Amino acid sequence: MTLETWDGDDESAAGRFVPLYVLVNGRTAPRDSTLDLATQVVALPVDTRRLEPEYVEIVHRCASWISVAEIGAYLHLPLAITKVMVDVLVEQGYLRVGIPAQQKIFDLHLLDSVLAGLERL
Amino acid sequence: MDRTSVKIVVAGGFGTGKTTLVASVSEIPPLTTEEILTEASVGVDDLTGVEGKSTTTVALDFGRITISPDVVLYLFGTPGQDRFWFMWDELAQGAVGAIVLVDTRRLDASFPAVDYFERRGIPFVTAVNRFFGECAYTEEEIRGALELDPRTPLVWCDARDRPSSKLALITLVRHAMAKLTATAPA
Repeated sequence: MTLETWDGDDESAAGRFVPLYVLVNGRTAPRDSTLDLATQVVALPVDTRRLEPEYVEIVHRCASWISVAEIGAYLHLPLAITKVMVDVLVEQGYLRVGIPAQQKIFDLHLLDSVLAGLERL
Repeated sequence: MDRTSVKIVVAGGFGTGKTTLVASVSEIPPLTTEEILTEASVGVDDLTGVEGKSTTTVALDFGRITISPDVVLYLFGTPGQDRFWFMWDELAQGAVGAIVLVDTRRLDASFPAVDYFERRGIPFVTAVNRFFGECAYTEEEIRGALELDPRTPLVWCDARDRPSSKLALITLVRHAMAKLTATAPA
């Protein structure tokens, strides 16, 4: 009799073994709907050993402030998946979120600093 | 300190130089992020050319400019294809405004973008890309063809040229500030 055992390796030679929708538990939208493409996140000093490797990769990318869009681009993850995964990490206390871009009315002070920054280019 | 992100949308028809403009001012080589769509999220009437596909991919090119230690500006190019209009909503939401690039050989290619931002009251400037050589039209003719509001700024630019792209961005931020001041409650 042969025992079928799993060696714990999810990455087969043919590629990803666990489909992305399994990693996000079938969720299709982030709980925090203010997460925008440009929203900045940064890793908190938390032990990541209990996380799936795909999530660890994201946390490692966030050593300094980075946008959701950049995480997706660097890790070749579709945006919708990136948003849900980032949201899961925020919810579980692995990432901190900056001030989102989704503000309907901009304060002039912020626009003023953007203008000054562009003029320095 | 919390980091604030700011967005500017770079729009225009297919091949008007959106990624070129982003590349000319971005501090990083433009990155591409992808959204995978299932058929259900794409209008049934708009599937011409992608029949039999269960999913389709929209690519977004973007760049970054660090304004200060706590403010970072992202420039997002819109997807060129018309059937991805719904992506524009996500890009435009909360954005400072948009630069609509215009290719004078195909003025009509930029009309949908002008229309989009005008309808939503989102500040935008039109940037006529001189990349393609001498322009056969006057500013008045271009304004007429695009049915531009007289208050919408029009700048001439070469999307490959950093100072020129920078000027288009500055014009947009100034315009957005003027619009905000004009509409702010007393």
